[in-house]
Amino acid sequence: MENKNNLDLNNGEVAVVHEGTAKRGFFTRIIDSVYSFMDKTHNKIIVAVILLAFVLTVPLWADNYILQVAWNAMFYMLLALGCNIIVGFTGMVDLGFAAKFAVGAYTSGILVHTFGWNFWLTLPIVVIVGMIAAVLIGGPALRLRSDYLAIVTLGFGEIVRTVARNLEITGSASGLSGIKRPYIFGTQLTRIWMWYYLFVFLVFLFVVASNRVKDSRFGRGLAYVREDEDAARAMGVNVVKFKMWAFIVGTVMGAIAGAFYVMQMAAVSPNSFQFTQSSNILLAVVLGGMGKVPGVMAGAAFFSIFPEIFRSIGEYRMLFFGIALVLVMIFRPQGLWPERRRR
Amino acid sequence: MALMEVKELTMLFGGITAVDHLNFEVEEDSITALIGPNGAGKTATFNCLTGFYVPTSGEILYEGKSLVNVPPHKITDRGIIRTFQNVRLFNNLTVMENVMSGCHSISKKFVGSALLRTPSERREEAEIKRIAEEAMEYIGISDLRHEIAKSLPYGTQRRVEWARAIASKPKLLLLDEPAAGLNRQEKEDLVTLIRRFRNELGMTVFLIEHDMGMVMDVAEKIVVISFGTKIAEGTPKEVQDDPLVVEAYLGKDDDEEEAV
Amino acid sequence: MFSPGEIILQQTVNGLILGCFYALISLGYTMVYGIVRLLNFAHGDIYMVGAFVGFFVFGALAAITGTGWLSIILAMVAAMFLCGVLGFLIQRFAYRPLLDAPRLSLLITAIGVSLILQNAMMILTNGEFKFFNHSVNPRAGISLGNVTITWIQMVLLGITAVLLISLTWFVSKTIWGKAMRAISMDRPTCRLMGINVNTIIGITFFIGSALAAVAGVMACVYYGNVHYFMGYIMGMKAFTAAVIGGIGSIPGAMLGGLLLGLLEAGGTQVLGSSWKDVFAFGILIIMLIFKPTGLLGKTEVERM
Repeated sequence: MENKNNLDLNNGEVAVVHEGTAKRGFFTRIIDSVYSFMDKTHNKIIVAVILLAFVLTVPLWADNYILQVAWNAMFYMLLALGCNIIVGFTGMVDLGFAAKFAVGAYTSGILVHTFGWNFWLTLPIVVIVGMIAAVLIGGPALRLRSDYLAIVTLGFGEIVRTVARNLEITGSASGLSGIKRPYIFGTQLTRIWMWYYLFVFLVFLFVVASNRVKDSRFGRGLAYVREDEDAARAMGVNVVKFKMWAFIVGTVMGAIAGAFYVMQMAAVSPNSFQFTQSSNILLAVVLGGMGKVPGVMAGAAFFSIFPEIFRSIGEYRMLFFGIALVLVMIFRPQGLWPERRRR
Repeated sequence: MALMEVKELTMLFGGITAVDHLNFEVEEDSITALIGPNGAGKTATFNCLTGFYVPTSGEILYEGKSLVNVPPHKITDRGIIRTFQNVRLFNNLTVMENVMSGCHSISKKFVGSALLRTPSERREEAEIKRIAEEAMEYIGISDLRHEIAKSLPYGTQRRVEWARAIASKPKLLLLDEPAAGLNRQEKEDLVTLIRRFRNELGMTVFLIEHDMGMVMDVAEKIVVISFGTKIAEGTPKEVQDDPLVVEAYLGKDDDEEEAV
Repeated sequence: MFSPGEIILQQTVNGLILGCFYALISLGYTMVYGIVRLLNFAHGDIYMVGAFVGFFVFGALAAITGTGWLSIILAMVAAMFLCGVLGFLIQRFAYRPLLDAPRLSLLITAIGVSLILQNAMMILTNGEFKFFNHSVNPRAGISLGNVTITWIQMVLLGITAVLLISLTWFVSKTIWGKAMRAISMDRPTCRLMGINVNTIIGITFFIGSALAAVAGVMACVYYGNVHYFMGYIMGMKAFTAAVIGGIGSIPGAMLGGLLLGLLEAGGTQVLGSSWKDVFAFGILIIMLIFKPTGLLGKTEVERM
């Protein structure tokens, strides 16, 4: 039964499967056994509790380096969850997600650093600026074919970086530094473990938001758009409006993540927003299975921790990474953890 | 007054005239069919009615108001729902989610209430689920609610599409070749179902089709077009006896049946 | 020192040369996009690989045929061939298995291929700038007042013109070119009509990659150095040029490339060179707002 189901589900990829049937077998079997394990509710709960316990206890045993890496993983999860709304839920291609967190980071950074605002008060401004940025990028591109969005987001990423490098207010090439860290209940957030917990909490909020979007009329509308734009239109979905709002929600999430990022780093510079960042975020979403929230989080964790683990192989790591990416796409194009539903 | 009036509808693609000054009406509570041989302009007409094409000239009135230049989703909001010739389900979603899409045009909640999950949003969600369940029950696919759409056989996918259409509680149901690809038994079920849509759910049904047998069975009024122009109009009996129709259409019917 | 007229002349020449690079590279984007609807992310890196192949072949030939034009042309031919083969192989092994998969998978694969090319070249060259020491005098040429149009510039313009004309002839007159255009309109039908779709797609990648390689070797000669990261921004702008010209349109890519080169040269003159990357994308966004199909692109008739 289980097996038959798989065959059916793979129907769409038949053409792809042919060439790789032999090599797929082993890989697929491992992943499928993980699925059937995770399908049982109590197994799911056990795994979730263990993971949560692990995540919450990291600061108790980890040194500062590991904590920094763990914090970075949380940060990547925030970005990937934001990007997931655009790419995973709606099926749009965004090649410049780093620009969205740059927008948030600079907005907050400048307001705190140059104008002496309280960080928490900058958040509403970050949201508004994020919305404006989303409308500016999405407005011209969303009405057109999806590839145009890809190139426009890519271009916007470069524009943001160049502008940041050239303006006085963004601190030019060296960026802003020595930004005063914010207070929470009278305590200044100076230690990495504080930031780690704050980011874990933010990830929790983003997950709740993602799940709420997913199980709503809005989120279903996005899924309809992703699956078949014409049919979505026929069912009464205003495709451009839904895409626009998915873009806005994703961008605002990215901007918020950026605002917190700049406060932890106490600095920001144009080099934090390279294309590599954008592509890593996109890949986390795609390899995580396009829309599946836990998958996307796993993808983000992988992409932030991976370079650290493979530091020893140094310059070869991105090469292997590229090769792995191509192989995964050829042999398992629906991502390592694809969206699937069971009873 | 007719529910929908098509006046002098003309649609050009480049230099080709797909629909040429077409006139017809769809009466309220009727089952009306538009038929014609392949390439007669049926699909082009259909896509004009549903807002997917903008006609070159002419007027389409629905409840006295124009549908020309109205985008498809707004047409759906006005109580008109369509199906697709080759079944266009949301492939990777479940049957339930597919049918819930029918409720899209009759519900309102958007981003804000989704993120805040307000009580009214939850009420609306419950209502959407209830309507979807009802629609699946009516079509008889309740058992399949958690199946992935693309894993279903073709005939069943069609049924899902009908459930999705009636979940929107339309006033006017537009069916694009609903019998295409169905076997004899499924076609008979379809005829029964179309009658029930009208009699029990109070929908007006308009279909385009080239399966003459089925149309003769179910339609009360038939409009026949060939090369984009109307060549006959009337009850199935009248149309069947019309020499023009026999010439343009029925003579080829046998070949086409086989082709399907 | 420079009169306004001279500045305009100088920037026109600069812009034209830049436009040649964009045109040659954007052709690969537009042809591939037209035929398989793929934003071939790795194409900019093919240009980079072409530059390196040119660099290495030139280095090997220097002892035999000298460091003048002969070696440059030979290096160019070698780069064209090798990159053509590389493009074909990438298509064969990375893209072909995915032609019927969701478009996003194909795009991600292209990003993966781009990473592979970039990092392989980085390892091979230790991430250093390599200097291309040819013996052609970079300043010699025809002087018009204070402006000199160098021989190098003229040769590059000439090579580009020859390639663009041959490509136009190939696409409009030969059977392969016609098959290419047919596939870009309707791939399944072409398959039914007995056109060997895979072969034609392979040829398309070969030609596109060979043209990018020419641009790569031209960059060696013109700028005098090569670097493993040179393909990224160039590729992006060339794609922008393809969109400006109308993606899928071959004359559009040529026009878009030259136009983008000229506009960028003009914009740099006015705004300063630190803004030059913004300029290209700014034009792109303005273009998408006012003429989304590009200058020579056709509106696609959507079929239901």
